[in-house]
Amino acid sequence: MIPVRSYVRILRKYLRPLRGRVALLAVVALTGIALQLAGPQLIRAFLDGATRGTEVSKLVPLAIWFIVIAVFQQGAKVWATYISVDVGWSATNDLRADLAEHVLHLDMGFHKEHTPGALIERIDGDVTSLSNFFSSFTIMVIGNLILIAGILVLLWVEHWLIGLGVTGFVVLIFSGMVKVQSIAVPRWKAVRARSAELMGFIGEQLGGTEDIKANGGDRFMIARFTNILRQWLPEHVRGRHGFSMLWAMGIMTFITGLVVVFFIGSILFTDGIMTLGSVYLVFHYVQMSHDPMEQIRAQMEDFQKAGAGIARVEDLLARHSAIADDGVTPLSGGSVEVHFDHVTFWYNDEDGETDRPVLDNLNFTLPKGRVLGVLGRSGSGKSTLARLLTRLYDPQQGTIRLDGTPLSHVPVEDLRHRVAMVTQDVQLFGASIRDNLTFFDHDVDDERLLDVIDQLGLTAWLATLGDGLDSRLEASGSGLSAGQAQLLAFTRIFLRDPGVVILDEASSRLDPATEELIERAVDRLLENRTGIIIAHRLATIERADDILILEDGLIVEAGDRARLAADPDSRLSHLLATGLEEVLA
Amino acid sequence: MTNRDAPTAKLMWGAIKSERGRYSANVLLWSTIWLMPVIPALIVRGFFDSLELETGANAVTFVALIVGYGLGRVAVMVLAMHNDVHFEFRNASQLRRNMLERIYEMPAAQAVQGSPGEMISRFREDVDHTQETISWTVDMVGATIFGVVAVWILTGIDAGLTLAVFAPLVVMVVLAERLGGRIKRYREEAQAATGRITEAVGEMFGAVQSIKVAGAEHSMVENLRELNDGRRKAMVRDKTLTAGLESVFWNTVSIGTGLILLVGAGSLAADGGLTVGEFALFVYFLGFVTDAGYFVGIFIARFKQATVSYARMINLLRGGRPMRLVDKVDLELTGPEPLIAAVPRRASDQLETLTVRELTFHYPGTDNGIRGVDLDLPRGSFTVVTGRIGSGKTTLLRALLGLVPADAGEILWNGELVEDPSTWMVPPHAAYTPQVPSLFSMSLRDNLQLGRNDSDDEIVAAIRSAALERDLEDMPDGLDTMVGPRGMRLSGGQVQRTAAARMLLRRPELLVFDDLSSALDVETEQTLWRRLLEEQVGATALVVSHRLPALMRADQVLMMEEGRIVARGSYKELMETSDAFNSLFAGNGAS
Repeated sequence: MIPVRSYVRILRKYLRPLRGRVALLAVVALTGIALQLAGPQLIRAFLDGATRGTEVSKLVPLAIWFIVIAVFQQGAKVWATYISVDVGWSATNDLRADLAEHVLHLDMGFHKEHTPGALIERIDGDVTSLSNFFSSFTIMVIGNLILIAGILVLLWVEHWLIGLGVTGFVVLIFSGMVKVQSIAVPRWKAVRARSAELMGFIGEQLGGTEDIKANGGDRFMIARFTNILRQWLPEHVRGRHGFSMLWAMGIMTFITGLVVVFFIGSILFTDGIMTLGSVYLVFHYVQMSHDPMEQIRAQMEDFQKAGAGIARVEDLLARHSAIADDGVTPLSGGSVEVHFDHVTFWYNDEDGETDRPVLDNLNFTLPKGRVLGVLGRSGSGKSTLARLLTRLYDPQQGTIRLDGTPLSHVPVEDLRHRVAMVTQDVQLFGASIRDNLTFFDHDVDDERLLDVIDQLGLTAWLATLGDGLDSRLEASGSGLSAGQAQLLAFTRIFLRDPGVVILDEASSRLDPATEELIERAVDRLLENRTGIIIAHRLATIERADDILILEDGLIVEAGDRARLAADPDSRLSHLLATGLEEVLA
Repeated sequence: MTNRDAPTAKLMWGAIKSERGRYSANVLLWSTIWLMPVIPALIVRGFFDSLELETGANAVTFVALIVGYGLGRVAVMVLAMHNDVHFEFRNASQLRRNMLERIYEMPAAQAVQGSPGEMISRFREDVDHTQETISWTVDMVGATIFGVVAVWILTGIDAGLTLAVFAPLVVMVVLAERLGGRIKRYREEAQAATGRITEAVGEMFGAVQSIKVAGAEHSMVENLRELNDGRRKAMVRDKTLTAGLESVFWNTVSIGTGLILLVGAGSLAADGGLTVGEFALFVYFLGFVTDAGYFVGIFIARFKQATVSYARMINLLRGGRPMRLVDKVDLELTGPEPLIAAVPRRASDQLETLTVRELTFHYPGTDNGIRGVDLDLPRGSFTVVTGRIGSGKTTLLRALLGLVPADAGEILWNGELVEDPSTWMVPPHAAYTPQVPSLFSMSLRDNLQLGRNDSDDEIVAAIRSAALERDLEDMPDGLDTMVGPRGMRLSGGQVQRTAAARMLLRRPELLVFDDLSSALDVETEQTLWRRLLEEQVGATALVVSHRLPALMRADQVLMMEEGRIVARGSYKELMETSDAFNSLFAGNGAS
């Protein structure tokens, strides 16, 4: 079925502000239809006149009127197209942005399962099919349906037998179309899903050419590409034959229409009820109803796409983040106390199966203004700890509290402004340095940006870029070294005034000279703030007041750094000993 | 934006040639579809003539004729569709495959420029645009044949009237041709606007974690809104112009009908002149002839759009032969699944010495790069490259591996010149772990093998060497664990060690790591170096690192500054002799 109801449900909110233009669209389109219906009446008058021997001078004005009407009708059509496209894109642009925002707010579990390539297909591809749907639906479907209704009314007026015959024909054809449509839509869904899969796969490869090429994996990638195509082809063929069925319906429409004209026309003409001009009028109207039906039929393919698209958009909108954002307690300014109260967490598998806990009954308090160094081998749960604190994930058991307030009681936006994190992988955009630092927030003024950049000692580097804050970074930040990217990430959090700062392996990829630069800035950042430094290197935790050592999700050691370092039996002193060469220099 | 070396027509012809059989069948079938409406036109004329001239033909005869025609048309249509879907699918796949192949031919670090989202739009929209245009050439042939037949029939009835009908049509086609330039420009703008949006959305979700953590969802979306509005304007212009042009074509039917009435008024009114049946035939054909004219006009416009798309795809080839896009390839869509031949390892592949002389490379348009780098790596040696950010360490590795094309200098493998590093410096000669490795949404096993046929024992051994075995134990499905898009389900350190295992599995003569240990803790790093140096016997390693466990194990340390090697020697020697080295490492760690 044509997915009008879902469509209206989705777009009701977005079409309401555009009421005025939608009304204008209706007026313009209806005028065009009225003109279109008037044309054949002129032809009948002409033909009847001609066959009855009316003077040519009386026929000519009819022909001229016919041409004038045709010109105006086309003008109305172009105008209607303009309005419908404009309305369609205006409405769906808002939907697209809201959908993007909705998806951005979905939890990381969702994002781990969906490639950016596939999300492009769903947020831009599917919504675009909705905007095409609007213009084609208003003009091609509603407009044409009204045209067909007008034709039927005029034919009923002509003679009940003609009206009945053509109405029966229209009903028959439409029910057929609906049936065929229901067969074709699922086929198209499969085709679209396959196409999204292929594009996701290609996008991923484009980001990893170095890895693939230098490890001799290029032939394999091509083979995988081939395999996806092999699965896609049969579905593509089936999808297209869904379309064949729709076309076949169109052909049968035309044939049935002629059958009606041949039978009824010859009977009524022979009985003298209709003139030859009237038979032609019926023929012309039936012909005219063929084109709109063809157009509706041709739009069916778009509708199938839109139908599939709408279903997926609804699906996406219906998804809720696993991170419930219903807190109302704001965090106070300044430094914050962090308390992990018997926190247990495990990552849920795609199939809902669970693994062993990544963090197992974690229990500790980090007082205001203290700096905690977290140590542990990779996979011990260090990064997870940071992800829980920023609510990228919620623990299955236990509670994390900031100044005594459970995290879930704090609005997520508020939380993330107060708890800042720098991760290993700095994610950058193909945009200006300014936009990269502010995340496209135009309210941050340059003065403040430059001030923060200066604090980080990046002013000299910024100058080498030529256009200062306006210098464009290449997409995905290529062209910047990882260390430079890291410096930008620091600037990003320097711009906020967080109460807790988490540095997740932040300095791991910097050369020692740059690291020194950063160390100074980090000192400033940690001033009067609570800090958590997740470190692989002993040098990085020099500034920590407390130490937490994790192993397999369990705390194996915790306490004051100086005290632990002084205790020869502590794990920390063992680590200091084994990692001694690390600090030799 | 025309492509001088490869005009659109030449590219299209190239594509057609590789699917010659299906294309010929397409021409035949679709021409039939175009030509078939002549039959109902004649039936309709017969019907009206039978009424007007009272020839007494039975309505049943006409009904039988028209139903027979309908069945025939459906049959031809289904055949034509079937043939076309295979033609179109293969052609589109060929374009995509050729672009992908080309990407793997180029120096890999420069193969993809522009954001992934923007690149994907070439694989998606541009392929579809050009493909549609090729499909439409068949309609051009059909429309032309139909036009000739229709004109022949109509001229037989009334030559003067036929001319009056066709005159406006010709004017319209000329008009469309003149407006074509503008359509192309509008279409380009609309495409560029779409490209910007795909890019923005792609980056947005590529950076979703950063955005969330920064609480920047709203400002990111505001930026998307601005881009959206730009596209709306471009789209409205494009679609309205297209609708205007289409409308002009459709209008020829109505105006043509008016002209027939106007010009034929005398003849229709006169006895023995135009019959109503003939009038019906004229009007009926007018529709189809205008259809044909419409197709010609639209085709011209499409053709211009295809030129834009081809130019964008040729641009992706980055200097490759443009006709490369449409080279015939075996898509292997049927038959046994494609296999990847194993690369045999010959005795002569064994590395004795790797010598680099005067290696120079600059990123185009910048001063960044490396200058005159000399390097000697004897078999079994362990070399560490160190230096500040931007000193050229990664670039050195890339140039050596052929991931960027060197501007000057030579690389000698056992004293023999390596002509093309990008094809030579791959397994079994060399393998590489980049600074930020990429994994792919496949199983861990597939990520490690990338098409190789190693036994599980070999894979597990490589995993052990990369100090990943404990992580493997924790993975729910072991080697079959899916790592998620770009390996996102693994931690940063796991991704790096997976990439290291991927490299080790290939047992290359030369191991190249870019800052492998950056996401590793001290103990894991120690384990890794120990296993690597002890177990990969005979392997030669070139490593970028600032970390002491690596520096102290090194046979030679190369210190880079501004693209040059400024100091070399063992760690001890450099500590004693190099000021630059000392200043780099001064203050690194206390005690």
